[in-house]
Amino acid sequence: MIAAIRAARVPNPAGIELPPKGKVWPSVGVSKGPKAKVEWADLIGRVASHADREAFKSLFEHFAPRIKGFMLKAGCGADEAEEIAQNTLVAVWRKAGQFDPASTGAAAWIFAIARNLRIDSLRRLARAGRLSEDAELANTPDAAESADVVMSRVEDTVRVKAAIEQLSYEQSRVIRLSFIEERPHPEIASLLGIPLGTVKSRIRLAMNRLRDLLDEEP
Amino acid sequence: MTITHHPSEDLLADLATGVLGEAEHLVVSVHVAGCPRCSRFVQTIEQLAGAALEDAEPVPISDSAFDLVMARIRENPSPEAPPAVPASAASQHQDLPELLRRCRFGKRRRVAPGVSLQPIELPRTGKARAFLLQSAPGTRMLEHTHTGTELTCVLKGSFSHGGGRYGPGDFDYGDDDVDHRPIVGNEGPCLCVVAMTGDLRMNGFFGRLISPFVRL
Repeated sequence: MIAAIRAARVPNPAGIELPPKGKVWPSVGVSKGPKAKVEWADLIGRVASHADREAFKSLFEHFAPRIKGFMLKAGCGADEAEEIAQNTLVAVWRKAGQFDPASTGAAAWIFAIARNLRIDSLRRLARAGRLSEDAELANTPDAAESADVVMSRVEDTVRVKAAIEQLSYEQSRVIRLSFIEERPHPEIASLLGIPLGTVKSRIRLAMNRLRDLLDEEP
Repeated sequence: MTITHHPSEDLLADLATGVLGEAEHLVVSVHVAGCPRCSRFVQTIEQLAGAALEDAEPVPISDSAFDLVMARIRENPSPEAPPAVPASAASQHQDLPELLRRCRFGKRRRVAPGVSLQPIELPRTGKARAFLLQSAPGTRMLEHTHTGTELTCVLKGSFSHGGGRYGPGDFDYGDDDVDHRPIVGNEGPCLCVVAMTGDLRMNGFFGRLISPFVRL
């Protein structure tokens, strides 16, 4: 993942120079397979340009089980987690053309899709409605938009990377637990072995520290 | 453009992880698109989220999952095209930020002397409505308290209230803790994009909320 950051380090990386939409991508074999260092962004690009089934299969095999695992951890039931994983990969295929590797990492993009599908799923459950293909396909300005929103400047990706590296393990963990995995505060307290009353301030400190790190001149 | 008012870190994290409703998502996104500082923050959370997904424990999925997914893709194989910009909006809103130029707009209507509102039509209905709010220079809103939340990003002009002066790119968050009485700056009309919670069809909440300051 972190294609954009990796791109900042690697000379002439694949994927940083995204051809305009509709332009043909260089066709590269998938011989490396998902175990080798794969540019997920490149695979998404080949799905977009060539409807490349092999590239898609690699993405599926890597991400679908992780999305399911992630969703189970986030409190979804097994069927729901499986469904979100499948729906996410369908959306990855259909939205591949909207992915911009210069501004967001592949895993971050796929995460955003899965996350939005989960929100849809929760809303559907709340309405006690049946899953409909329409609802699933409702195309929000989600991932594509946030990709658009995220600045693609190399300087930014360098600063982001530096900030992530400087954030202590404890701080990045509390951000992950709270915002990304959406764990309730009592659970965070017991996971980190801190009093419940301290969780809020721990999160606040971590977020402020992240702001400060990002505000520092490189 | 000097931005002095930013969304909270929590709101930025919620944007990055996709938790916000569409209207809120749009308004925070408009700020972030014009604010390198916040965009770096959002990017950082996105990367952390991507890393969390990469680290997630893979859980075996059903044997038929790949075939099921491929079957569904075959039903409609073409990858989605990026949303097209409606021609009318393109001509009507040329000076708006890119994110807003892509939106569909409802009919602009006058809601009070010097104040007009234009709804933004979002593909999915959330709790909040999004709209453009344009106010004439010097307009003074009546004192009001929010009963829901109101997220505002200034596009043009300025307004001021107890929290300070809000110019282009600035972000304002109002909730029921905030008692304010915004005054539009004299330098020109003030154009904002706003996300406001409430369901206007269900209970007239929107009307109650907005009427104190636009005299609907």
